[in-house]
Amino acid sequence: MTEARPDTWRVPSAWVLLAAIALIACAEVGGASMAQFKLALTRWARGTMLARPATHGLVGVRDVDEQILDEALVKFDAGLRLFHLHAEGMGTIIIVATMVATTVVRAPGLRRAIVVLITVGGAGYPLGYLLWSALIPFAGIEGGKALAERLVWIPFGGAAIVAMWLLTAAVGREIVRR
Amino acid sequence: MRRPPLVIVFLAILLVALGETAGALMSVVRPQIESYARARVAANPVAHGLAGTAEYDLEITSRAVFTAEAGLSFFHVHAEGLGPIILLATTVVATFVPSRRVRGCLYALFTLGGLFPLGYLVYAVAVLEAGRDTGVELAERYVLTPLGSATIVGLLALAVVLAGRRRTTPTG
Repeated sequence: MTEARPDTWRVPSAWVLLAAIALIACAEVGGASMAQFKLALTRWARGTMLARPATHGLVGVRDVDEQILDEALVKFDAGLRLFHLHAEGMGTIIIVATMVATTVVRAPGLRRAIVVLITVGGAGYPLGYLLWSALIPFAGIEGGKALAERLVWIPFGGAAIVAMWLLTAAVGREIVRR
Repeated sequence: MRRPPLVIVFLAILLVALGETAGALMSVVRPQIESYARARVAANPVAHGLAGTAEYDLEITSRAVFTAEAGLSFFHVHAEGLGPIILLATTVVATFVPSRRVRGCLYALFTLGGLFPLGYLVYAVAVLEAGRDTGVELAERYVLTPLGSATIVGLLALAVVLAGRRRTTPTG
């Protein structure tokens, strides 16, 4: 096997790249679908919310209910947009961070840990926004947010943050070592 | 592809780490950030033009707090976005720019440009301490414009160098 030059980038594993590219593809499809199916999605969310008046605090007074529904629909749309944005961003970050880890981090255990944490955390985190959007019609804005936070944002986002700080420390140590 | 100097790799990764952490903090300690911002506005009544009228002052305070929070949000977005851009741009520099001196200049420009997102932290603090419009103007004039310009100049210079290289290198 030929040893790569020390000043050249090493490519992370194909699985990592596949996860990142799939995430970016999902983000792009998500963005396009948001525009294409905006009306259908809004109708579905509105219908689902109207079927659960107690969850959303609907009181049967049109002026009051419309305001509540509008706010929930804005958040529903925001969740989809945030999924689109975060999935595109995190896909890129997965590629960049794993490339740095694969090239710069010497200890195999630490390198593997960083690659796994940033790939799993980075790929999972944006899905939390999709989950939040899907939950809003059923569980309300805050109920959906609490579930998405507990199930996705905290574990997956936490993993990505830990990975980035481990990588920052590893690169910093490498600078000092040289 | 060649990798840029480790210091630039470190800066890019640090930016992303700070951006991610800021995003999480903005969500977790949002009430504390808001109450701190309101306290700072109240502590600088002259800078914010507070008049002592509850309704008017509340409106002014809310606008200043919203702008400061927007600064934090911009920091989160720009740090996560600019980190990979700096890394990719300097990788292109390391790989395709033959002159050591030109490479050094481009690295310096991109390193300076990499500090651009920190300007939004200055923006958030300046808004609270110096007033909304003055704070925004200070941050834009003295931090965001010079640092942002460094990235723009770096990218334009890199494009010129690549175009020149393409013209002098026979293809096929």
